[in-house]
Amino acid sequence: MMIQAQSSTSSGRMPYHEFYLDDFAPREHYTPLWEHIRKTGQSALGDKAQAAHLALRTEGVTFTVYSENEEGIERVWPFDLLPRIIPAAEWVPIEAGLKQRVRAINLFLCDLYHKQQILKDGVLPADLIFQGKDFRREIMDIDPPQGIYPHISGIDLIRDETGRYLVLEDNCRTPSGVSYMIENRIVERRILPEFFAKYRVRRVEHYPALLLQALRYLSPRGADNAEVVLLTPGIYNSAYFEHTFLAKEMGIELVEGRDLFVKNNVVYMRTTQGLRRVDVVYRRVDDAFLDPLAFRPDSMLGVAGIVDAWRAGNVAIVNAPGCGIADDKAVYPFVPDIIRYYLGERPILDNVPTYLMTRPDDQAFVLDNLERMVVKSVSESGGYGMLMGPASTPALRAEFAQNIRENPRNYIAQPVIPLSRHVCYLDGELESRHIDLRPYVIYGKDIEVVPGGLTRVALTKGSLVVNSSQGGGSKDTWVLAE
Amino acid sequence: MLSRIADSLYWMSRYLERAESTARLVEINLLYLLEAEDQLTEAAQWRPLLAICGSEAAYSETYKGAPVTANRVIQFLTQQRNNPNAIRTSLRLARENARVVRDRISKEMWEAMNEMWLQVDRQLSGPLLPERAAGFYSEVRSGVARFHGITSGSMMRGQPFNFYLLGTFLERTDMTARILDVKYHLLLPDASMVGSPLDFYQWAALLKSLSGFEAFRRIYQAGLRPIDVAQFIIFESDFPRSLRFSLDRMKQAIDQLAETAPDERTAVCVQGLLARLEHTDAEQAFKLGLHEFLEDFLDGVRELNDALAARYFEAYLGDESCVT
Repeated sequence: MMIQAQSSTSSGRMPYHEFYLDDFAPREHYTPLWEHIRKTGQSALGDKAQAAHLALRTEGVTFTVYSENEEGIERVWPFDLLPRIIPAAEWVPIEAGLKQRVRAINLFLCDLYHKQQILKDGVLPADLIFQGKDFRREIMDIDPPQGIYPHISGIDLIRDETGRYLVLEDNCRTPSGVSYMIENRIVERRILPEFFAKYRVRRVEHYPALLLQALRYLSPRGADNAEVVLLTPGIYNSAYFEHTFLAKEMGIELVEGRDLFVKNNVVYMRTTQGLRRVDVVYRRVDDAFLDPLAFRPDSMLGVAGIVDAWRAGNVAIVNAPGCGIADDKAVYPFVPDIIRYYLGERPILDNVPTYLMTRPDDQAFVLDNLERMVVKSVSESGGYGMLMGPASTPALRAEFAQNIRENPRNYIAQPVIPLSRHVCYLDGELESRHIDLRPYVIYGKDIEVVPGGLTRVALTKGSLVVNSSQGGGSKDTWVLAE
Repeated sequence: MLSRIADSLYWMSRYLERAESTARLVEINLLYLLEAEDQLTEAAQWRPLLAICGSEAAYSETYKGAPVTANRVIQFLTQQRNNPNAIRTSLRLARENARVVRDRISKEMWEAMNEMWLQVDRQLSGPLLPERAAGFYSEVRSGVARFHGITSGSMMRGQPFNFYLLGTFLERTDMTARILDVKYHLLLPDASMVGSPLDFYQWAALLKSLSGFEAFRRIYQAGLRPIDVAQFIIFESDFPRSLRFSLDRMKQAIDQLAETAPDERTAVCVQGLLARLEHTDAEQAFKLGLHEFLEDFLDGVRELNDALAARYFEAYLGDESCVT
């Protein structure tokens, strides 16, 4: 279902425009690009857009949309030609803010699964954690390799009407999209080399190398002796392309659950030459499906006994089981407090104001103002299970209101923030569309952020939903060098 | 390498070979029927193809006893969705297996495979028109040839490459033996007889459906004697679609695999197949009965396939002494 919303907000202010100033002149950092387009003519872009689509199609850069058909529908990755440009000075606080956030989240997870001091100190209500679907009692008091839980996070940023960057979501389970960040760059460079000549764009293609280093760092047998594998649910998974891409870039085996096997708490993979010991499993399978012995017994995707092997310290699981509680949408409003609590620092990146439905005052206010709110189910992602107030019908609002009253822990609400807009080349025209940004944070020996990220575009006019499963597109994202 | 990956590589090339041989078979049949001088009915011209592809039962289930016609057979062998051996199905499965091993094959290989599938899928979005059919088959053949060329130029030699070779040659052996078996059955039972003009075309078509007509002519100038054709297709070690040639390639691949992952049963199977071809020739095979000879050979091929699966593809559950 496509969710429509009006572009202007309840506050009546216009969304921030990344490209244009108020008088429709381009912002300074877009001027060289703009002049280039004016000089070569807009029609030249049409051929380029076609060439980009063909290149992505031939290369098989696709994602799978789940459908009734058991094979799923493979779609070519939607790519918009015009890059999103982030000036160096703007990137500095983003990078610092992301690192700060992930460092605090790791301390939080470590605490939750050991002493739970933060709950004893009353910073978060203990109920909120214990009722969380993604809090895993099974892993209490386990020390993961190197003390790291969220090795990879994809943190979604949006910009409010003033252009301020806000964190919308901390994705620290198995965030996807990083391969598209790199593919977008590869295509952009091949199709539009002339754009690059005008700028000093920072590189992003070393992401897999950084990731591999971080993964090897976790090996129980030492980084120099690390057999690292990527665990995929298989070719019908929506992110299968990404799994093959990353495995190939890192030169590691791409395995399915049935390729792995646990014996005496050691993980092996089945090869033509016998069993081979595995040290690090970068899993792209959710916690629930990871180990039928520890979590969902009906899982066909997982590996029986892998959590015990992890508990015994014989294998690293990336991200660690149990990370999901940190990006539970009901925990999200507390992340600024979590940063203050563990680091004693002021949060560099702000949250979107959020109402907790478990707080009676918040709930009453939200129920009175549903048509101006975005209501999200805490356990859903990918743009599913959402109410977009301004575009909703009275019947849908009534349904959500009832759900909120019945199960307040399951919902949060936020005022509609109009995502910033950017120009896109669509069917021969330059049109403005809403965008967000997902940079990727790797927590290894150090915390690293690749300068860039995945810019997602809501291709439907006025829509604020950027998820690729819901008709979103993407742009190459340029972070400029000083 | 992972057993599952070995399995997928093997099947990727088996399906590819299956698509290619089927395309050639149908294409040749189609071309030779343009000038229909012979007395064969339409059904008699097309039914053998179903036998060769092992699709007779599936065909009659689909068409519920309707007469065998050129259009139906073409449709069935090319694009019928419920025919597991149709060209479209084979290419779809080849590509699906390539997707599984995408991180183990070269980027160029994947792109060639993907492009070929996208093109075929587009062309077969509706029924294949008879006037387009021959062109379509020749595109399929060149698409597969292109893939093999790119593979030869870009894939690392080693275990994965050997599984790719085994898939190709095992499928080829199987197909060659079936083509010969079915066609021989229909043609002359008298081995020494030089055929009528009708037979000439039939034997020529058989050789062409194996890309072997010109090579055969160069070696055997006397005419198209069935016994020579059989000798060539079974025993000629320089002809790339002969049983002998394919078997030699499989033997090499298995010997290389054995260097790091030996297997007694596989070795015995391939030896057994070679023994069936050594110290004998077409004349003796005819005496024994060519059909029996080929049946026995195909049994050996199936045993080899099972041995490979048991040792290399099926989840390996050895004890810890196997841990490397």
